[in-house]
Amino acid sequence: MNKITVEICYGTLCFVMGGEVFETLQEHLPEEIKQVVTLKGMVCPGYCHQQEKYGKPPFVKVQDRLICEANPQKIIACITNLMKDGSNQ
Amino acid sequence: MAQTNNATLLRRDLLTRLCRLMLEDNLENIDRIPVEMMPRTGKAASRCCPYKGRAILRYRIMALLGYNVADETDELESLYNYALRALSGFDKGYGVLTVVDEACDGCVKSNYTVSNLCRGCLASHCMVSCPKGAIRMVDGKAHIDEYLCIGCGKCQQACPYHAIIYVPIPCEESCPVGAIKRGPDGKEHIDPEKCIHCGRCMTACPFGAIMYRSQIIHVLYEIKNQARPLVALVAPAIAGQFRAGFSQVRSALLKIGFSAVEQVAEGAAQTARNEAEEWIHKNADGQPVMTTSCCPAYVSLAEKHLPNLRPLVSDTPSPMVYSAMKAREKYPEAGIVFVGPCVAKQAEARKHGGLIDYVMTFEELGALLIARGIDVVNEPDSSGEIPLPETRFAMSGGVAASVQTYLPEGAEFPHVVVDGLNRKNVALLKTLPKNKNIKGLVEVMACEGGCLAGPGALTSTETAQKLFKENVPLPEKQWAP
Ligand code: SF4
Ligand code: FES
Repeated sequence: MNKITVEICYGTLCFVMGGEVFETLQEHLPEEIKQVVTLKGMVCPGYCHQQEKYGKPPFVKVQDRLICEANPQKIIACITNLMKDGSNQ
Repeated sequence: MAQTNNATLLRRDLLTRLCRLMLEDNLENIDRIPVEMMPRTGKAASRCCPYKGRAILRYRIMALLGYNVADETDELESLYNYALRALSGFDKGYGVLTVVDEACDGCVKSNYTVSNLCRGCLASHCMVSCPKGAIRMVDGKAHIDEYLCIGCGKCQQACPYHAIIYVPIPCEESCPVGAIKRGPDGKEHIDPEKCIHCGRCMTACPFGAIMYRSQIIHVLYEIKNQARPLVALVAPAIAGQFRAGFSQVRSALLKIGFSAVEQVAEGAAQTARNEAEEWIHKNADGQPVMTTSCCPAYVSLAEKHLPNLRPLVSDTPSPMVYSAMKAREKYPEAGIVFVGPCVAKQAEARKHGGLIDYVMTFEELGALLIARGIDVVNEPDSSGEIPLPETRFAMSGGVAASVQTYLPEGAEFPHVVVDGLNRKNVALLKTLPKNKNIKGLVEVMACEGGCLAGPGALTSTETAQKLFKENVPLPEKQWAP
């Protein structure tokens, strides 16, 4: 099974507007999810400059899905969905 | 900050908007902020209509301009006027925290309320047990008259269905000194004589109705004006604020327009050294206990509420004061800005009139970085700048650990760490002057976890602790004594 990549925006805007919680995301992931994900940071991809289009920060990408107003619950839900429909296989 | 929540994020959003307007010389548009954030049509989240939502935002901005919301005399006065008046040196009076009374009305009038578990029973134990006759039966259910209720809780104990519930008032419950109370207008008020500026109420209020009175516009005005250079003194807790080393933070601050950046950890080293010496002397003179003095909320607690404890507080100045004294020497022309996680430092700075010009929070630094479009993580990392061990002042236990390193090798070092000014710890401190069981150095931190968990921090405590340990690689045993 391929790993699911979770990319967290390390830009200051996302970080200040709630993204700081992802610093401890790894520790809070359920065991079965921890095993299938690779956590990465990304420099500001610019979504924050187009909030009408992309929504509000913080932004996280799970594979090719963009999550706005991201929080651990949303990320976990998204990963669980990906695992279910096997699109990461 | 225990946890970042929506009230925190709203404050940061407002701060960012304010910083942008200042940086773009657009302050005259400040009165548009509430309208932009709460358009008449649209789905802006307000508990009621957009007009009330805007009114609340207006008062929040007043606080960010440094005003006490209660000092409003003319409801039609524009925010722009307020801003100009502030910048022209108008005396806004003093106080670190202010209650945004428009936002404060979510809480209950009485701590006890009847839930729908009430069966309206015949016995009505609640009515019988209420000493004030505050309970009546209305439509087959008990009803508590909130004006008569004194909050004794007897009804709750009496009800066999557990139908009466206790509803807390979070700010009042969080205040360690009973400084915040509901006034006759039904809103919370802070008694300035009692308040020790710990900021706990601000963090506790679910409506974000308590705000610190920011000094950010003055800092920005000076940066823009360049009448004199500004020096940033950055508190040790910075090591828990960004996924970045100090050199990156320094570079970001210089970009913002500060002319120099100093680490308050250097002042902390001086505090630790002198406190160690003070302790040796005082102890030799027969004083069994001495408390630390670096936490301004704690020092205010001793001064305002625990007069017997006052003589036991160390006379050694805080790291901020030492750093500021040094900066004054090094940069005699400059204005001095303390940047930290603390709101009580505003009160401490005021005591040392003229030594420190402004106090800014890490959260404000975050907003300013956003407004300037600076990403700390992208700043050059000219590592090699090894954090001083006294950086651990930011973490509970770290002050005592630092003092210990300045004691003679092998010296006995009895110590206690009081982590957080919750009511239990305040009660403990009250007993301290007479307590025979506690000896040695007592480190006191108003915030659980230390400065890292301060109300003006950018990161939640958990993140702060993690980043801190990554940024300040000290052997595990050196974190606490
Ligand atoms: S002492 Fe602390 S909790 Fe009490 S009113 Fe002052 S800032 Fe708020
Ligand atoms: S800071 Fe995250 S998208 Fe720009």
